Amino acid sequence: MGPGRRGLVAGVAALALLAGCSSGARHAERSTEASRGTPDQAAPGLDAARGFQPARKYQATSVPARLEIPSIHVASALARLGRAADGTVEVPSRWEVAGWYALGPRPGDPGSAVILGQVDSTRGPAVFYRLRELRPGDEIDITRADRSSVRFVVERTAQYLKTRFPTDEVYYPTLTPALRLVTCGGQFDFTTGHYRSNIIVFATIRS
Amino acid sequence: MRIRIGLVTLVVFVLAGAVACTHSTSGRSGSPPASPAAGHDGMSMGVTTTTAPGTATKASPEQLGAQFEQLLGRHALLAARLMRSAVMAAPDFRQAAVASLQENTDALSQLVGSAYGSAQGERYRQLWQRRTDDLFAYANGVAGNDASAKQTARAALMTDADAYGSWLAEASNGQARAGDAATFARTNVQELMQQLDAYAAHDYDKAYQLERSAYEQMFTGGATLAKASVPPKAAAALDAPPNKLRSAFAMLLGEHMELIIDAQRATFAGSPEFHAAAAQINANSTALAQGLGSIVGPKKGAEFQSAWADHVAGLMAYTTAVAGDDQAGKAAAEDKLHSFAVTLATYFSGVVHTPAAFVPLTGAITAHDTHLIDQVNAYAARDYAKAQQMELHGYEQMLGVANTLVDAIQRTVKPGMPVGGSQTGGGGTAQRP
Repeated sequence: MGPGRRGLVAGVAALALLAGCSSGARHAERSTEASRGTPDQAAPGLDAARGFQPARKYQATSVPARLEIPSIHVASALARLGRAADGTVEVPSRWEVAGWYALGPRPGDPGSAVILGQVDSTRGPAVFYRLRELRPGDEIDITRADRSSVRFVVERTAQYLKTRFPTDEVYYPTLTPALRLVTCGGQFDFTTGHYRSNIIVFATIRS
Repeated sequence: MRIRIGLVTLVVFVLAGAVACTHSTSGRSGSPPASPAAGHDGMSMGVTTTTAPGTATKASPEQLGAQFEQLLGRHALLAARLMRSAVMAAPDFRQAAVASLQENTDALSQLVGSAYGSAQGERYRQLWQRRTDDLFAYANGVAGNDASAKQTARAALMTDADAYGSWLAEASNGQARAGDAATFARTNVQELMQQLDAYAAHDYDKAYQLERSAYEQMFTGGATLAKASVPPKAAAALDAPPNKLRSAFAMLLGEHMELIIDAQRATFAGSPEFHAAAAQINANSTALAQGLGSIVGPKKGAEFQSAWADHVAGLMAYTTAVAGDDQAGKAAAEDKLHSFAVTLATYFSGVVHTPAAFVPLTGAITAHDTHLIDQVNAYAARDYAKAQQMELHGYEQMLGVANTLVDAIQRTVKPGMPVGGSQTGGGGTAQRP
């Protein structure tokens, strides 16, 4: 007979009684435990349990050093970026070099690692000029300072007005390893000297 | 300047919240827990299914998601343990496990009723009860080495999965697809069967890995159940980054509590099983530290992992003292756990220059330890009903911690995130209008 409900009434009722007074009865429960004693024979797993070593060493991931996106012929070293005084993200100072937002997660760690690159210079294309061409399934490779590597796969590419930049989707913590590539796109505002939109590539780690 | 949340600040928020959640869970049983979303609203949120039908306050999609995730995750663990009890031929424990699973099914059905209507809640109860019965039938087949019984139960479970898919598609008016829901249910029962096959074959590493996988998968199922019960726009809130982070931490912290219990109980089972359970504890601790480290930075992540290791080691020291009938060892371990709690509380409250945080910090850590101490004492004394009750309270407390943690992140991390978009273009390829 399976674990049908009728046979469980007594057990459930006992649980309900226990829970109904759990807070106030803690001392009484402890006394009951003491009177019941402990097991009358050695536990078989005891030696193993005594030798248990909890995971103590934190496995820090090396910082990213290089980015490659074969499908759009991108190969770049990675600069380190922070936050500007006005609260905006720093951008790479060189047109041909992408940058990793170093205040966020490292690629491959839980969370969204963010890499930014210029779409163009004042004279012509820059490192992320073809970023908008990325399609789902395209691969992105990151090589770290310790020569280890991690591969991401494009999930989607989207364009957002900077006034509606999806900050949470790009920067908010997550426990899933992910990668965001960011550059400019859309219309260029010649009065301000900036593009009005950002192109964002959302990628997930290849398992 | 690195814009990182301080671990210390987080811990203060988290553990202070945990104390409140512990208090909120006392004195309840058999009802849908109120704690999963407690951190968002004064420790009192949740689907109020304990009130009379028709008077319950409608839960938000996030609250529904949290509660479905919590209950379904625990279902997977309880089912795995119940199935193993058949193989272990442990009738006393089986009785308590059955009661816990029934309690969980009742709570799930009530929650479904609150989200989809009472009629659907009752249909769900029947579906879920049949699934539970068939899982146990499979376990009996494994225990009796009866291939025919196993095959019959397996076929019944696949039918159950298809029925679940059809039910959800109908109950959600097509928002959930029957095929997707059935696939989810099939995958889950397959993992539960496989973990038992591995357990019976003494492949404990595989059994505990699959148990953990089945638990984690249920969090996806919980989100699906919640999303399908609300309009699409409201369902989108469940995919918002803060809610997904809450879900992820709830999964890991609840898993921590349950894996400690697995290891405590495995101490009474055998060395190979203990090693397998302990390996999953370490995998969970590493995932938790890596996750937190990605938010607070590697240095603080490392500090957390070391402190967490002390916490885990202290709990296992108490467990071995219980299993070895070592009264002096128990007292020493309790002192160590208390000392650990005080040291942590002193350290953190000092670093944040908030002496007032010392008391709630100490209380929260101690409450968590007490759940696990009481659990192993009850288990060792073969008071399995009480052991299960302590498991429930401890699990709920950890989920309250997750909510409080994400609230703290929301308050402290978000203001440090970059503002607006990036100026990543010089305009050299732009066309003048």
